[in-house]
Amino acid sequence: MSTTPNSVQHPARDGARRSVRRRRPAATAVAPWLLLTPFLLVFLISFVLPILMAIGQSFTRVERRGLFGEEGVTSTFAWFENYRLALEDGSFLASIGRMLLFGVVQVPVMIALATVLALLLESAAARWPAFFRAAYFMPYGIPGVLATILWSFLYVPGLSPIIDVVHSLTGVEVDFLSSRTVLWSIANIVTWTYTGYNMLIIIAQLKAIPSELYEAARVDGAGPARIALTIQLPLIRPALMLTTVFSIIGTLQLFAEPQLLAQVAPAIDSQYTPNLSAYTTAFAYNDYTVAAAQAVLIAVVAFVLSFSFLRLTNRRS
Amino acid sequence: MSAAADAVQGDRPDVDAGTDAGTASPGAGAATRRRRGRTILVTGVLVVVALYFLVPVYWVVVAASKTTDDLFGTHGFLFAENFALFDNVAQVITHDSGIFLRWLANSVLYAGVGALIATYLAAAAGYALSTYVFRGRNLVFGLVLGGVLVPGTATALPLFLLFSQLGLVNTYWSVLIPSLVSPFGLFLCRIYADATVDRSLVEAARLDGVGEIRIFHVLGLRIMVPALVTVFLFQLVSIWNNYFLPLVMLTEDQLFPITLGLNTWRSQTDRLPEFYELTTGGVLLSVIPLAIAMIVLQRFWRGGLTEGAVK
Amino acid sequence: MYGDRLAATGTRMKARPRPPLTRRGLLRGGLGLGVGAGAAALAGCSVPGTSSVNAEPTIPAADSGETVTLTCWAWLKELQAVADLWNAENPRVQVEISWIPGGNDGGYQKLYSALAAGSGPDLAQVEMRSVPEFMLVDGVVDLSRYGIDEYADRFDPTLWGQVSFAGGVYGVPQDSGPTALYHRPDLLDDVGAAPPETWQEWAEIGAEVRDAGRFMGTFPLADTSVFAAHAMQAGAVWLNAEDDGWVIDMAGESTLDVARFFDAAIDDEIVSTQLQPFSPGWFAAAAEGRIATLMSASWGDALLEGVSGAEGKWRVAPLPQWPDGYGSAQLGGSTTAVLANSTHPREAMEFAVWLNSSAAGIDGLIEHSGIGWSANPDHIGAPRQGGSEFFGGQAYNTEVFAPAAEQQNPDWQWWPTTQQTFNVLADAFRAKAGGTSLVDAVVRAEADTMEVFREKGLTIRRAER
Repeated sequence: MSTTPNSVQHPARDGARRSVRRRRPAATAVAPWLLLTPFLLVFLISFVLPILMAIGQSFTRVERRGLFGEEGVTSTFAWFENYRLALEDGSFLASIGRMLLFGVVQVPVMIALATVLALLLESAAARWPAFFRAAYFMPYGIPGVLATILWSFLYVPGLSPIIDVVHSLTGVEVDFLSSRTVLWSIANIVTWTYTGYNMLIIIAQLKAIPSELYEAARVDGAGPARIALTIQLPLIRPALMLTTVFSIIGTLQLFAEPQLLAQVAPAIDSQYTPNLSAYTTAFAYNDYTVAAAQAVLIAVVAFVLSFSFLRLTNRRS
Repeated sequence: MSAAADAVQGDRPDVDAGTDAGTASPGAGAATRRRRGRTILVTGVLVVVALYFLVPVYWVVVAASKTTDDLFGTHGFLFAENFALFDNVAQVITHDSGIFLRWLANSVLYAGVGALIATYLAAAAGYALSTYVFRGRNLVFGLVLGGVLVPGTATALPLFLLFSQLGLVNTYWSVLIPSLVSPFGLFLCRIYADATVDRSLVEAARLDGVGEIRIFHVLGLRIMVPALVTVFLFQLVSIWNNYFLPLVMLTEDQLFPITLGLNTWRSQTDRLPEFYELTTGGVLLSVIPLAIAMIVLQRFWRGGLTEGAVK
Repeated sequence: MYGDRLAATGTRMKARPRPPLTRRGLLRGGLGLGVGAGAAALAGCSVPGTSSVNAEPTIPAADSGETVTLTCWAWLKELQAVADLWNAENPRVQVEISWIPGGNDGGYQKLYSALAAGSGPDLAQVEMRSVPEFMLVDGVVDLSRYGIDEYADRFDPTLWGQVSFAGGVYGVPQDSGPTALYHRPDLLDDVGAAPPETWQEWAEIGAEVRDAGRFMGTFPLADTSVFAAHAMQAGAVWLNAEDDGWVIDMAGESTLDVARFFDAAIDDEIVSTQLQPFSPGWFAAAAEGRIATLMSASWGDALLEGVSGAEGKWRVAPLPQWPDGYGSAQLGGSTTAVLANSTHPREAMEFAVWLNSSAAGIDGLIEHSGIGWSANPDHIGAPRQGGSEFFGGQAYNTEVFAPAAEQQNPDWQWWPTTQQTFNVLADAFRAKAGGTSLVDAVVRAEADTMEVFREKGLTIRRAER
């Protein structure tokens, strides 16, 4: 991962440390672990063990005898049987494909929008930047669940004023919840919620650009557009990468939005997203072992996507 | 790469391009006009975008002031003649002997306590990884970083099974414990500590005979405050917004956070239309404080977020 | 055997000696506990629903001096008011109600979670169609072991058949949803028609209603329980539990006939597939007078009253008939089930029987909770005797629904993967927009359901046909 400034040890500092260590070897050997243990303990319980459990369960198979298993239930080691079932399940695969499509479209749109807004807000031409920044950031504080409830009212025919307004302006009866549009209606909720947050991260990085660079560029006669292209965009690359990776992970985690919207949108099935699929398999079909295999697959896909994105962008630089 | 460290230390004055109007050469009337035109254009774009972000919130204010009949019978963007906002709000607060306030309090508890402890744990661990050289340091750091990439929802199901064996399911702990760990927070804290905690100060404290743990509490924590604020806010929002974990863990509505609670109301609108009033009123009551909090807190959101950029 | 291992792990964990209460000790203890549990989990003990409550000895009734508190989770509203009637008369057995979201909207997830965690209420509302799913995870108590059979004659035999499997009884029928045809006589009159007596006639009238710019009805693609109700009326039995395993006949001739019929109705635009009954969009369309008929259950009456400006406009008629088949079908219907972790199954059963078969219980359920059709044929409920103003004074309950409740398909059974089958079917139905037919969808759903059964290790074969 990253190399950090202090990994290059100064000889003098090392010398000092060594002398301290000679005097108090026990303290400096124990102290880091004392400080780390509480964190690691919770990490173990909430990350490591569940992941190991999921992996363990994903290799287990439950066999029933009788009409309902009333004549006995056994569980055996199943090799990759659950993975086979998960991968053969067309709905689960479709859900992953759907999220890839979603990610390919929604993430770039959102990041681009966030970048443009950040550049505009930081440009000389913007009036009342503090107000706009606050307005854009505000939806981030609204939980996805509430945002979805809010937007679902704006999507539902018979309730939605947007449909009314569009209808009276253009005569077109828009349907936000049809099988063709509902994915993008979800994308809209996600974009609405997170654009401001991503924008703020980018603004933070923009503000860290040394003012000498701007001055030098202006002396060279660069306009705002050129400054944005040649100075600002290259220098906010880390922020763009951070927000993109987070957005990719977030995309694979999509759950609340489709789950809630399903109540008003018949086009959303019970396995619309990978997470919804795992949830349905576990809690509606009571198939915990296949659900575990699905959870492991989701994590693997998240890993692969995040790392290949990082590899790709690193190579390009 | 040290740009990260620069950004961290960079509590330099804002390079707000908006303030450097002095670069315009005097007397260039055309340039001024062009600039004014640009200002109108840019601000116009910003206003349109602001409408997009604010209209749903405006809608919920309007909707919360309507009876269920008016909700379906009147135009969604216009207030109805019958202004029922206060009735609805009173109904939200009193329904089911004040369960809404209980949900709100639960959310505050989960998010507040969870974020506070999570920040402390992340600070201690990040400080330890930064300050000490010991065997296993990189392993621990790498392991935890992997945690950032694992979707939280992927661990929720096995976590449920684990907690059900420990008898923790459907208790406050089942939501609190997983909220106490923030791999991303540890990551930020470590990088921030790398860049800001002065080794010579630590050495000096040691020479004065101050214990290691005390050095962290007295020295480390204080220096890391800007990053800690960010970690705290980040964790606060992510716990507050969490839906999947409480959904899986909790069955008793007395333990629900606000997200889960309001959804149970919403899911009843199918059969019991009077729940529309409760839902819109409840959404309004929970959105307004959050919106205000975000607007107030956004200026604290700067320090330490970008320096976490994965490189 | 499985249960033994699980229980042994439990005791081992509980018996672990407490370390002295130092910080490090606490940490180590926590670590040990976590690792212990993790190891137990990895050993494969943790898949829930793999032990059998109905193989364990029965739990005797509580001593007469003991006060028992029963918990009951249900999504009926104001059920506590009804339970309080019981509580007043039975000081020794007190019932506390907790509200949960309806069935698959989150209620079952809660119940399954609680069961998996080894806890949960004594009683729960479980839909008729979901009882076998709860049996699959060992979630419900076989009440025949507690003497439910002596009350069997109080309940509708069709419903009783739907909770009886392999010699056991796994829930107390609460209500059902006999179906009928809600319709707007004025809209039918517009095209010179009366309520149709056969589905064929219904489709013919439908074509004229469509030409008048309205829908004859709706066919929800996402809610396949409606399609199941049609098939049930037509005489289909999708799954049947026989001694040597399950027999599936989803793609049997009577079901395919229904599928063909609605394929045509959708293609001819006689029905809407977008307007799911009782969704906001449907209410809007109904309020505008664009819906002429609605096949729905007895409980649809209360929902229909939510259509604005509809007072006096709707009536109820018996369902149109298929060439073979039954007078009516069932849409919805619940049971009160005694859950596996109840410590007082006998008392729980007695409450459930009182709630669902006594006059006081049924009248209370109708008045406070608005249940569907009473499961006790001798008492349809005092409030349901007279006429209704909304339906223009028609005494539709005694006139239409009481006979409908007696004209049910007695062979229909639910199965352990009902929800999954319904979802698979709904997924296939959604493809109708892309050109596949309902017939294709039914055939696919049958194959998928067989696959799901086999994955779970259950025996299943296709019916001979």
